Amino acid sequence: MPMDEGLRSELSKQGIFTTQLSDLYNWGRKNSVWPLQFGLACCAIEMIATTMARYDLARFGAEVFRPSPRQADLMIVAGTVTKKMAPQVVRLYNQMPEPKYVIAMGACAISGGPFKQGYNVLKGIDRFIPVDVHIPGCPPRPEALIHAFMTLQNKIDAQKLTGPGRPRHLDPDAPSEFPVPQFGEHDLVPPNNPALWQAPKLVRTE
Amino acid sequence: MVEYNPYLLITVFLVAAILFSVAPLLMAYLWAKRFSPAKPGPDKNAIYECGLESKGDARMQFRSEYYLYGIIFLIFDVETIFLLPFAVAFTGLPASAFVAMLVFLLLLVEGLVWAWRKGILTWS
Amino acid sequence: METLEQIKASLETSVPGVKLEIIPNESPSGQRSLLVDNAHGVAVAKFLRDDPQLRLDYCSNVTGVDWLDTVLKEKVKAKQLVEGVEKEVEQQIETKRAGYLEAVYHLYSMALKHGPVIIRLRTENRSDKNHLPSLTPVWRGAEFQEREIFDLYGVIFDGHPDLRRILMWDGYVDHPMRKDYVEPDDYDYEPTPHDEVLEKVKQRQPAEAKP
Repeated sequence: MPMDEGLRSELSKQGIFTTQLSDLYNWGRKNSVWPLQFGLACCAIEMIATTMARYDLARFGAEVFRPSPRQADLMIVAGTVTKKMAPQVVRLYNQMPEPKYVIAMGACAISGGPFKQGYNVLKGIDRFIPVDVHIPGCPPRPEALIHAFMTLQNKIDAQKLTGPGRPRHLDPDAPSEFPVPQFGEHDLVPPNNPALWQAPKLVRTE
Repeated sequence: MVEYNPYLLITVFLVAAILFSVAPLLMAYLWAKRFSPAKPGPDKNAIYECGLESKGDARMQFRSEYYLYGIIFLIFDVETIFLLPFAVAFTGLPASAFVAMLVFLLLLVEGLVWAWRKGILTWS
Repeated sequence: METLEQIKASLETSVPGVKLEIIPNESPSGQRSLLVDNAHGVAVAKFLRDDPQLRLDYCSNVTGVDWLDTVLKEKVKAKQLVEGVEKEVEQQIETKRAGYLEAVYHLYSMALKHGPVIIRLRTENRSDKNHLPSLTPVWRGAEFQEREIFDLYGVIFDGHPDLRRILMWDGYVDHPMRKDYVEPDDYDYEPTPHDEVLEKVKQRQPAEAKP
């Protein structure tokens, strides 16, 4: 039951802290997000720098990079996703247990970046898996990754346990796995997941 | 006053230990039942977790030559176990021990030479 | 190191029947190259590797080039009768040249510390006669690069030990580095200032009626 904000602050002034079950739950989850340890291109170097002593991602509870998708909560897609690599990335995402989150790091992972019109680069990983935070940059600085991480933490913090606005992992009808694209003769089949990604309508004024 | 039973403390500890280990699992189970549903799937239940689909059978047969390699390796493994304490105590040992060790090594080398001549070390 | 002319001369004496041609290069680097006919490709490569004067034991780089069908324009000065007076008139001669695929090998010598010597192999055309002799048996390091040329240009290297696609997947049918490659039409959303890309987006998403 939601509590009156004024009463809560008054109680905390008296040294009594009140909380909700969802707040406790989200507080625990947002401070123990373990990323999956994999890098695809040069952005991975910045990701590694973020975890090291100078930037120290461990301050946010994300120091443990798990080498197995079974133990990971967060997938940092750090780098260029080639079409040959895309099915593997989607399969790794499918193998992560719920709740799981995705940060698309860098220009390549969010849109294909400088290789967008190339023949072998996926035009953004959000065509196949749901992305929570996009970071632009080529590559983004470690501060940008930390900012993305804090954005993700805020997002987790605002999640509700029940009701229609609850996140995917609490909804029994929402999918946990997303279809893995197949290698076709000219391109990936399908080239995007229409349930996740639709081309934005362009409005031209000419 | 209740008579002090020396096993009482152990029983209390035992119950606490069992509660301490089972209670989080039980809470997680109840939590999952109430809030987050299990969502298995063919990808998630796959054995291999590298992003690639597993191909073929995990059980495969080794060639018999491999076991010969293994046996020869084992000989030298055992040799190291003997050599190490010998080397540690080397300064305090009489000359006869050195000779005995040389004979031991010679026997092993002889076995290796025999295996070599038989052609076991060439992988075909 | 010997000049390319000297290499050509010694090749012609030691590999009988070989057809060689020196390809000029007018760019600032001025690196000329040696065009080798396909039938004697492996023999020439073996000679370049084993000749005590050259010993080109290191194949540093193999490149593919796609040359489309082109019309070569050449200006020739010819004498012509114009209005009864003989004058020198410039004429343009147009010759059609069929396209071909090319593999360029850059060779160095680690033993003698010289190089590069550049040799070229050309296919007969771009479609069906796209075979070249593989130089992987001579320089092992050419294996992956020849596979890459096979993958991206569709040149088939005869005698290659393991000719598979290396960058694209096995079921792929195109050769993306060819100049006539048509990429899959997925220009759904391209926030880009590049005109040709914008044209493709317009074809996919025609402008709606103005409000």
